[in-house]
Amino acid sequence: MEEKKDREYFKKLAHQLMFDLSDEEADSLVREFGTLEGQMALLDAVNTDGVEEMIYPFEAETAFVRKDEVSNVITQDEAMANVDKKIEGHFVLPKVVK
Amino acid sequence: MIAEMAADKNGAEKRVKEAYAKAQEYQSKFNDVITFVDPEEQLKDLPAEGLMRGVPVVLKDNVNTKGIRTTAGSRILSTYVPVYDAEIVEKLRKAGAVYIAKSSMDELAMGGTNLTCFTGPAYNPWDTRRMTGGSSGGSAALVASGVVPMAIGSDTGDSVRKPASFCGIVGVKPTYGRISRYGIIQYASSLDHVGYFTRSIEDACVTLKVLAGRDDRDMTSSNREVPDYSALLNSDMHGRKIAVLGNVIKNISNQETVKMFNDLMDQLRAKGAQVDVYDFDENLMRAILPAYFIIANCEATSNDSNLDGIRFGVREDGEDMAEIMTNSRTKGFGPLIRRRFVIGSYGLFEENQERIFRKAQKVRRVVVNAMNDCLKEYDAIIAPASGNIAPLINANEDQDALSDENLIAENYMAMGNFSGYPSITVPMGFEEGCPIGVNITCRAFEETTMFDVAKAVEEITGYKDLQAEVK
Amino acid sequence: MEYDVTIGIEIHCQLKTATKMFSGAPTSFGRKANTCVNEVDLGHPGSMPQVNEEAVRKAVMACTALHLTIDPLIKFDRKNYYYSDLPKGFQITQQFHPIGRDGYVEIDTAEGPKKIRIERIHMEEDTAKQFHLSKVSLLDYNRAGTPLIEIVSRPDMHNGAEAEAYVEALRQTLYYIGVSDCKMEEGSMRCDVNVSIAPKGAAHLGTKNEIKNLNSISHIGKAVDYEVERQKQLLEAGEKVMQETRRFDEKTGTTIMMRRKEGNVDYKFFPEPNIVPIRLDAAWIKSIQDAMPELPSARKQRYERDYGLSEHDINVLISNKEMSDFFEQVVKYTKNAKSACNWLLSDVSAWLNANEKTIDTCELKPEMLAKLIGMIDDGKLSNAQAKQLVDDLMDGKDPEQSAEEKGLKQVSDTGAISAMVNEVMDANPQAIEDFRNGKDRAVGFLTGQVMKKSKGQANPGLVNQLIKAELQKRIG
Repeated sequence: MEEKKDREYFKKLAHQLMFDLSDEEADSLVREFGTLEGQMALLDAVNTDGVEEMIYPFEAETAFVRKDEVSNVITQDEAMANVDKKIEGHFVLPKVVK
Repeated sequence: MIAEMAADKNGAEKRVKEAYAKAQEYQSKFNDVITFVDPEEQLKDLPAEGLMRGVPVVLKDNVNTKGIRTTAGSRILSTYVPVYDAEIVEKLRKAGAVYIAKSSMDELAMGGTNLTCFTGPAYNPWDTRRMTGGSSGGSAALVASGVVPMAIGSDTGDSVRKPASFCGIVGVKPTYGRISRYGIIQYASSLDHVGYFTRSIEDACVTLKVLAGRDDRDMTSSNREVPDYSALLNSDMHGRKIAVLGNVIKNISNQETVKMFNDLMDQLRAKGAQVDVYDFDENLMRAILPAYFIIANCEATSNDSNLDGIRFGVREDGEDMAEIMTNSRTKGFGPLIRRRFVIGSYGLFEENQERIFRKAQKVRRVVVNAMNDCLKEYDAIIAPASGNIAPLINANEDQDALSDENLIAENYMAMGNFSGYPSITVPMGFEEGCPIGVNITCRAFEETTMFDVAKAVEEITGYKDLQAEVK
Repeated sequence: MEYDVTIGIEIHCQLKTATKMFSGAPTSFGRKANTCVNEVDLGHPGSMPQVNEEAVRKAVMACTALHLTIDPLIKFDRKNYYYSDLPKGFQITQQFHPIGRDGYVEIDTAEGPKKIRIERIHMEEDTAKQFHLSKVSLLDYNRAGTPLIEIVSRPDMHNGAEAEAYVEALRQTLYYIGVSDCKMEEGSMRCDVNVSIAPKGAAHLGTKNEIKNLNSISHIGKAVDYEVERQKQLLEAGEKVMQETRRFDEKTGTTIMMRRKEGNVDYKFFPEPNIVPIRLDAAWIKSIQDAMPELPSARKQRYERDYGLSEHDINVLISNKEMSDFFEQVVKYTKNAKSACNWLLSDVSAWLNANEKTIDTCELKPEMLAKLIGMIDDGKLSNAQAKQLVDDLMDGKDPEQSAEEKGLKQVSDTGAISAMVNEVMDANPQAIEDFRNGKDRAVGFLTGQVMKKSKGQANPGLVNQLIKAELQKRIG
């Protein structure tokens, strides 16, 4: 069941991404979505039958894995340096109701 | 310039301080700096030797610098102070380079104009009514205006190679994995490259020697040995086979640029190179920008999910976690990137991924296969880096237009990101007093070939150490 | 109405490694908040993952022990969602290419041994820890990034006992091979149990309910049985079972709704672009498999073969690896395996419980326990006397010395005991009469008298034997 790609739809999508759009911004997105459809048409004009996705520019497998030794720890002060509120070395959030 | 500077040990302090003062002086003209970095501390710790000893440089503000604010051009990070240095910062320090500023960039590197930085637009030193191009615009301006001989940028679709064209300087995107990305704030991980600007090919060689090399902290970084690029530099074009990207030339409406480019090709032939026009499938070329947008937006939406105001960055108030995250991200992200995130997220939904994200990834492979076919016969692919000089800032052009000119002529350089192959922009000529560059792409890890062809061009044009005159 | 009960279990196990799954910060438990982290664990911009070799090794061991087929090409994917305990806004996991597929574990059921199939095992990273106070929540990222394996069973279990047996079998196996501490009470092993019921023979499964927050294995059976009953009652009343996530409440022994499941969340899984696929060397995998520590099932077979203990005793002994290891030390010094087992499972275990210690944290030495057993077998001490030495033994003392100090020894000298038997019988002619008249309790009375006379030191077996013989003589 295709949802209508209107202002409300994009506002909802944005909210799922943990930010909001104003009415104007959502309207702008409705227009940009039209461009996306155009872009999809350009992609579809390329035959990709039997073609695998390219996830990495170079697909050589690696054998490297990191040795299990402590190599990098920062102090509690450094960990907390970028926030104002701390309680006994913890990051603080208003009460979360799960 | 860099080699001479490094050799001139006594002049280090004066040189760096002058660069710092110049950067501050030019700031009101070009607005290319987000954070100034007083070089005093670094000057105290200069090593005795180093390929870039005492050379002032600039870092794009998506490069993590320990203890120094790093914003990636976004308001949400305007208070973020990293607890670690990016790998390249450590490499530059060991080589003796001194960074004097964190430069302006499009917000989170997602743009091609440098008009979306939260500190305002950067202005082109050649004509301040025009943009620098982006996303590494601030770094480009600081090199073009002669403040520093080298500045770090990043290139995900063309974000070093396009501003290099608009600013008349050398812009290098090496092979994917050649330079460690550890500590570079990510835009699209499978397309991101660390790149840089200089004003000569020799300086580009020295810089790559300093920056390149395996870093275990970046699992995509290459184990290959780093050659001595400077020693190997050889502009002899005899035996070199160069493919002109026919589709690009065909779609440039500006005939002055086409003529400028063709003249350059004749000169390359005169130097002994075989230069042929090579056409890719036109549909394939049209699909490059759309495929880039989709892959980049999708990966970026995921990469920037850590920006929530909880552990770092600007936190807005809220009654619970969800409100805090939402308020922080709404106020902290500009409108353009919020829209791009929504599109990226849409492309990743389970019901859409096959049709959108994975389709784009398949097209990516088709593009790279086509490049491989070309590079089996040819050593390099060449085309103008842009059809025109830097656009006027107020011209309000639609960057996303689906015209062939925009798709093919202006946005083909993402091929270099799809493939990961090394690519360089070098100044080609001038129109209306503003520069245009030419772009050269070679096979993986063949930076030496890339530098050789670029050097040949540099010798033909004579554009070495080009600096915009600052009035 | 009869019902088919379908139970599937997902287990998350923290791997015992020195560092995190994707960063070089130390793993920890109980450390001060945010002291075991770095920029990667905090999800700082520009940080990138580095895969931990030891985590991969332990995952390979787990797959081997549980009979899964191992995929030697390691790939990771991103699971995208927003939550305060998820620093990157995505978790790196193995959605599309788990490291192991299609294994099993055997459990004992009332109907005999049963194989519970394991669909997959994959590696992923743990989230941060949240503490809830009255007005705020606190975040500690020490746990963020800890290596986990997720073990997903097929829905092969049909009651609480089977569910519990499955989890216990997994716990033992993973603990024995040293892959994890498997402590549910510490969170190093976490269980989510999915329960659904449907009318017997129905084509489709019923609505699944997920039970979370189980803090101990002993709660699993209770929780499942309650949930099955709850769902049955709903269906019998003509109501629908709603899809919910529920938690087990220890006090009431019931499951309580936490939240309703609203459709399916789209996690937008896609391959992790910062980790190129890792090819595990076949020789490396083989070397890990060849060096695997003994599995509980193998140990059980070995005990059955070598020690002649009862199945029940073996099961109890093996369920505690350290106790079982200790047992093997003890039987190096004595041939009486049965006695060693009994002492460990009764008196020693009771002492450890009462004193809140474990076999590893007490002073008991295997050779000393063996010595005690030898003293009993040689008749030097009675069982009752030996029990009096337990405290000293657990503190590391030599039982011979202890017995000496306490003046405990058993008299097994036939002559001495005979003398006492005769004295007691001479003093209790009525008891002899009672015995002649068929009252067998006279034997017990006379035995007690001899024991009293010997201050508890006479060998009771011998006393009993000699009394019976003398009685026969006297009633002659």
